[in-house]
Amino acid sequence: MSAVLDAVRRETFGKNEAVRTRQAGKIPAVLYGEKKGVAESVTVDPKELSRILHSESGLNSLISLTIDGAETQVLVKEYQIDPVTHKLIHADFLRVAMDKVIRVTVPVHLTGEAKGVKLQGGTLDFVHRDVDVECLPADIPEHITVDVSELMLNQGVRVKDLATDGTWKAVSEPENLIVHIVAPRAEAAATTDAAAAPAAAAEPEVAKKGKTDKEDK
Amino acid sequence: MLMPKKVKYRKQQRGRMRGKAYRGCTVAFGDFGLMALEPCWMTDRQIEAARVAMARSIKRGGKIWIRVFPDKPITKKPQETRMGKGKGAPEGWVVVVKPGRILFEMEGVSEVEARAAMRLAQAKLPMKCRFATRFAEEKVS
Repeated sequence: MSAVLDAVRRETFGKNEAVRTRQAGKIPAVLYGEKKGVAESVTVDPKELSRILHSESGLNSLISLTIDGAETQVLVKEYQIDPVTHKLIHADFLRVAMDKVIRVTVPVHLTGEAKGVKLQGGTLDFVHRDVDVECLPADIPEHITVDVSELMLNQGVRVKDLATDGTWKAVSEPENLIVHIVAPRAEAAATTDAAAAPAAAAEPEVAKKGKTDKEDK
Repeated sequence: MLMPKKVKYRKQQRGRMRGKAYRGCTVAFGDFGLMALEPCWMTDRQIEAARVAMARSIKRGGKIWIRVFPDKPITKKPQETRMGKGKGAPEGWVVVVKPGRILFEMEGVSEVEARAAMRLAQAKLPMKCRFATRFAEEKVS
């Protein structure tokens, strides 16, 4: 998905100025990439940017950033949010050339209910929720779909098993496990271990001062 | 109960709990989490009580992560002791929690079950908390 976002060049910098920018309903952002050493400071509307990040393609949305009438194709490289309120506080935009292959992280979506969960009582362990792919900026997939309905207990899907449509290539480690079905862990055993632990060690060992024999060698 | 295996010093100063948790503030492993909204010292017993409450609530199936570890020793003077004569004896372990910190995570259960389990866990904790989901964090406001 491509989106349009207006930005205004920012001439003032620093913490206090950033606070004032946020109070005025905008957020500070920075634009860099492609042309080396040319970084531009801008302000953008957090609501508009949030709308783009909420879209299906999310962080991988190709954005036409308009600064003083000039359009630039960018991706959101990084964004910062307040940990409690989840409001945007800053964003980094990366300029992209439409004819150069880029590396992006694409989320993995699972479909179906695994037989290992339904019939064998296993638990679905979603190990890697995203995959690094190489593609042209216009061909970034919104997500990669993995069908887990045929997975039995102790079976999984690895990066090398992903089906590609030819526009993108997975560059994560091929042996990386994306999802597998594991046997459920016995909760009773864990509880017993936890209860027995304090009696055995009421106070931890204090590390000795000075060098040990191993460190001398 | 959770506690360090080895420590460099037996006792620590109390310190402050200013600011927000900029680390450990996203649901990273599971689908659902419990986020602290107030700063506090969370003890090893509270962590264990919350864990047991969650584990019993979801019965079997599902996976729980504990995202905090109590590595700060707390000391206490004996009762009816006059002030002075040095710092008290180590009594327990706490973790310094700041607003925004994800305390527990859960996977392999429905949102309804996760919410019910987190509500029970929250009742064992000394601070206000909020149910958090991976999907909510992806959707920044």
